[in-house]
Amino acid sequence: MIELEGVSYAYPRTGRDAISGISLFVRPGECIMITGPSGSGKTTLCMAAAGILEHEYGGEKTGKVTLFGKNVQDYQGISDISGHVGMVFDDPEAQLLFTTVEEELLSALERRGLSPEEVKTRLDAVMEITHLTSLRNRAPHALSGGQKQRVVLAATLVLGTDILILDEPTAELDERGTDSIISILRDLKARGKTIILTEHKFARFRDLVDRLVVLEEGRIRSMGPPDSISGDDYVKGVIYPDFTGIRDFSIPALPSDRPPLLTTRDLEFMYGEVSALRGVNLSIQAGEFIAIVGENGSGKTTLIKHFIGLLRPTRGEVIVDGKDSKNSSVADLAHSVGLVFQNPDHMFFADTVEEEIAFGIDNLGIPDKDTVMEKVLQETGLTHTRSLYPRWLSRGERQRLAIACVLAMQPRVIILDEPTTGLDGREAREIMELLKHLQRDGRTIVMVTHSRQIAGECADRIITMEEGRIISDTARGA
Amino acid sequence: MTEILQYVHKDGLFHRLHPATKILFIVVVALVSLLSLDIGFLVVVLAALLALALAGSVLREVLQQLTLILAMSVIFILITLITLPSGEVLGYLLPGGFLPITTGALFAGVLLTLRFAILIIAFQIFVITTQPRDLVNTLEQMKVPVDYNLMFLIALRFIPTLQLEAKKIHEAQLARGYNPGTGFIGRIKSVAPVMIPLVSNSLSRANVLGLTIDMRGYRTRARTPLRERRFQSVDWMAIVLLVVALAIFVYTSFFPGPG
Repeated sequence: MIELEGVSYAYPRTGRDAISGISLFVRPGECIMITGPSGSGKTTLCMAAAGILEHEYGGEKTGKVTLFGKNVQDYQGISDISGHVGMVFDDPEAQLLFTTVEEELLSALERRGLSPEEVKTRLDAVMEITHLTSLRNRAPHALSGGQKQRVVLAATLVLGTDILILDEPTAELDERGTDSIISILRDLKARGKTIILTEHKFARFRDLVDRLVVLEEGRIRSMGPPDSISGDDYVKGVIYPDFTGIRDFSIPALPSDRPPLLTTRDLEFMYGEVSALRGVNLSIQAGEFIAIVGENGSGKTTLIKHFIGLLRPTRGEVIVDGKDSKNSSVADLAHSVGLVFQNPDHMFFADTVEEEIAFGIDNLGIPDKDTVMEKVLQETGLTHTRSLYPRWLSRGERQRLAIACVLAMQPRVIILDEPTTGLDGREAREIMELLKHLQRDGRTIVMVTHSRQIAGECADRIITMEEGRIISDTARGA
Repeated sequence: MTEILQYVHKDGLFHRLHPATKILFIVVVALVSLLSLDIGFLVVVLAALLALALAGSVLREVLQQLTLILAMSVIFILITLITLPSGEVLGYLLPGGFLPITTGALFAGVLLTLRFAILIIAFQIFVITTQPRDLVNTLEQMKVPVDYNLMFLIALRFIPTLQLEAKKIHEAQLARGYNPGTGFIGRIKSVAPVMIPLVSNSLSRANVLGLTIDMRGYRTRARTPLRERRFQSVDWMAIVLLVVALAIFVYTSFFPGPG
């Protein structure tokens, strides 16, 4: 159906191949998973297969892409190709243009030259498959991450193409959202669709995937049915996040009666009329490594925003390093607490990595700027990138830079929201090793995560939240 | 967070009108408010618009613009006080006889505010009661090039997304000890840490958006006439009323009768 022969491509003005010498033959009805570290060319490969590189991007191309027996060059453009291949990009927000779910799907359907009856039948069928019928009059941009992803997928499905290409469909979803996407894809595969997807959560997709393509720096490192190639160490490192040994890092023992660093008492918080936290009592001591787990909407992010004063309690109190959050500014609390948000791209504005890190140091007036800078760059393994533009780094490096920016402000506690989003197994491990080093140096780590595996294998204490409450709080060995 | 200028799914008076009727409505309201120099008359138009919003059950949404309108009115009146002094002097803005408050300037400021309020509210009613898809289709039938339609559609669609994104970026920078700045100069200086990520993220999003539009064939393919909105009796009534109102306005304003 799709055939790539020796395809190489360099984006304009980069002078470096994003993908290089790729040959891949996609058979009808097959499900292929493309995986590899961030920046290894997964998205570029998808866009090559969808004919997008050929028609929409400049840059250096070699090799040949054939689609249904016809060279992609001979199609008239991507709206011509889109009759055969549907692609879902990784940012759902940018693919939702209309004001209701039904309108989003109809607007695409109305452009396919179908009769009104066919349009109606297909609309209903697609909404059924993607479980959107009950959401048909809702505004797509106001839905949850998992629902948005389903709308975007449905808007592509209505096009009726035999081939579906999905770029990281579950990267930002929790367990429940991921499950629902997987079950939809399983259904589509059973109906004979050919599916190409990029993913990091191989273990979850295992029974769906016929063939695995593992990339390394733009080249195919390994390709074949998962069972036949998963023996390779490189492949294993990418597809199976492995955190063994992380918890065995020697951490200096601390007196058990040390005073708590973060405390909440009967913390309640309302967003307008909606109750987000319903009485949270929590005490975190210096030197702990804590994971907070729970589904989207369980109140995890709302809770951690209280520790740095971005949100103030509706009722109850939050004590941070001896300071009542009610009487302290965010900048005051930032001396004690560093918060690393989920999406590093929400913070980068400087021209170089060094300037980016310096922002926080200057804002808080941290002494010994140069020493702090060198130490932080070295700890996060970013010394070689110091003069680069932050947005050009790979996702793994950007995540480490986000941690570096916060680390440089010398907080006692580092709180991270989903620090492994969009990272492969090896990069996720690097982040966990970094956090463990920071704990050994006397810092307290609190991370919010969807992944029970990461929580279970790395943290010393796991706090589970549901509907604004803590439903369990267990320490390792307790 | 309240969302600005987003379609609200309801079944109201305005929701039932054909988009073209609503476009005529905006044109008439704009003409009347821009041509009239009579403050009393403009107050009546404004009250009529609010009554219509109430009848169309979108009054609550329309009143969300009140802060914006009030803020603009202060600015308008200040500007006219400074730039258009005329008529009697009622007092002074600054002690010592600086910046006189004159009747002429006050009149001009209030006039501008009323016009502005009327235009904003009429446009607001139009946008929150019209599904973007109907709007795009109607504009297409009116032979407006599809690229311009999409530009308009996207500009409206991404307002709430940008609001939310700006909030997230602001929080991320606050957590890094960012000082939003005090005073006018301080605020200008401290814009970069929020604006640069906002613009950079929007640009990369624009790329995906463009590809999506083309892959769904919005720009190139003919449309299945699925839900052709037809003019209904309520549309014809509205159109007749609008034309009559415009005619009366033009007649009374520009052809003063004998005596």
